[in-house]
Amino acid sequence: MEANLDIKKETTINITKRSGSGGEALKVLLFIFISAIVILPILITVFASFKSLPQIGSESALKPPTSLNFENYKEVLKSANVFVGFKNSMILVVASVVINSLLSTMVAYCLTRFDFKLKKAYFAIFLVGLIIPGIVTEISRFGLMTNIGVYDTLLAPILIYAGADLMQIYIYKQFLEQVPVSVDESAMMDGASYFTIYWRIIFPMVIPATATLGILKAVDVLNDMYIPFLYMPGVENRTLSTLLFNCITDPRTSSIPKLSAAAVIVMIPTLVIYFIFQKYIFSGIAAGAVKE
Amino acid sequence: MLKNNVKMQKNLVLVTFLFIPTILISLFMIYPLIRLVALSFTSWDGLSLTKTFVGLTNFKKIIFDSPEVWLSLKNNGIYFVGHLLFIPIELFLAFLLDNRVRNSKMFKTITFLPYMINTVAVACMFIFLYSSQDGVLNSMLQFFHMDKIGWLSDPEIVNYSLTGVSLWKFSGIHIILFLAAFQSLPKDMIEASIIDGASTFKQFYHIVLPNIKPVVEIVLFLNVRGALQIFDIPYVMTSGGPNHASETFTVQTINTAFQYQNFGLACAMAIVLMIIIIIFSIIQKKLFNLKG
Repeated sequence: MEANLDIKKETTINITKRSGSGGEALKVLLFIFISAIVILPILITVFASFKSLPQIGSESALKPPTSLNFENYKEVLKSANVFVGFKNSMILVVASVVINSLLSTMVAYCLTRFDFKLKKAYFAIFLVGLIIPGIVTEISRFGLMTNIGVYDTLLAPILIYAGADLMQIYIYKQFLEQVPVSVDESAMMDGASYFTIYWRIIFPMVIPATATLGILKAVDVLNDMYIPFLYMPGVENRTLSTLLFNCITDPRTSSIPKLSAAAVIVMIPTLVIYFIFQKYIFSGIAAGAVKE
Repeated sequence: MLKNNVKMQKNLVLVTFLFIPTILISLFMIYPLIRLVALSFTSWDGLSLTKTFVGLTNFKKIIFDSPEVWLSLKNNGIYFVGHLLFIPIELFLAFLLDNRVRNSKMFKTITFLPYMINTVAVACMFIFLYSSQDGVLNSMLQFFHMDKIGWLSDPEIVNYSLTGVSLWKFSGIHIILFLAAFQSLPKDMIEASIIDGASTFKQFYHIVLPNIKPVVEIVLFLNVRGALQIFDIPYVMTSGGPNHASETFTVQTINTAFQYQNFGLACAMAIVLMIIIIIFSIIQKKLFNLKG
């Protein structure tokens, strides 16, 4: 499969068969059924977030709320520190995306344009990174984080998210391989230094890839529960994910309507990103598959 | 003179561009990995300054004296088989989404939606669906005059319920990967078969399927890795309960480290998991190539 990050206009050759309209109806029915499985749990949660606890017990879950009662949302905003969680999540997203895109493009630039001693080591690391089970290796990373004094600070997840995203380096590398070296060379003739070439030519050229990878990274960071849960137990450092995790056990927010309201609040940011940047997300995932 | 200047500039670029990424990768990826191996031979509790070397004791304990570890692997097996059985369905759905069903774009958006939702929010949604009192599924059962089911409280059922959540959340990513593979196939190949009058099923089985084998292999590998590492869903929804019935390998590893303060043993478990993932992937690849 070609790694091609260009957002191509999907070539819509219509290969839908015209003849069997019965088959066509069956296919549509199948997808309506799947859509129902996907949407109903979400819809039920949204409905529940506007209902009171007695209503949950007495009404069908599929019955829409009779009025938009924001009581549950108010309660959640009051008892769980949603604004702090939102702020922390945003800091993590911005820091990770910016640092990661800079570092990854720099490494990819070196890997595609120069020969150097560490090059082979870098390629070996790509393979290692594939096999390592991320969840359990966190056990040995944990001691390191406490030792360098970043435990329970926002720096801990930032270092992890921004530091070693091999997948993104790899995708950037593939992208840069498609940029002909002659572009660099002619700039060099005009007296540009390698730094200028990177900053003026290479970096702007990979912006489409950066958009795609940045959006994917943002979604990953927003939805990650594990790293913040492990490294930032402090209440003031909760992210949207860990805040919601806490809501499940906190008696003030653990009732179904309140928990539903909290879940709706937490799922909104990534869903907004999804509906706006869908194309980028799909093309980024397709490019990532080449690596694995 | 000029050549020397270029060479010096090249070295300067390499050092400045690779310095930070190399340090981050070494510190946060390679060093923890080495430390993981080293600690697996100790009885370290995660806190004390002394780390006693115990040889292969941890590994012996896992293999010969930890029935609970192997029981938890059986739970991972349920996720693995569940997702494996879904792969043919996902393949077929992706095939239809490749412009073979009306409104395929809209259905694609819906199919991938669950993958974008925060896992903790997904857990909250399903806690309500599965709840024994007021739960949506049990209310439905009651409506049809059937007995309630302890979706999350019955040890015989809980893993299947959680696998259902995992399928709901993660099937979309497989479909998108398959779809990307289908879309990368040359259109004229399929068009030719349409002119020949091949039915949708024939197109799928004889023309499309053999050409996307690499992506199927990727998904099979991702499934091994994902199923053996499943953590968020059981940890958030049941924390491994009732009475350890839904603990997965990673939940046990994390508990061994952070709850029972046995870092040495947990590190050994992490290495065992890594080996299992590698062996399983190799066997599966061999089997897949035999059949194909």
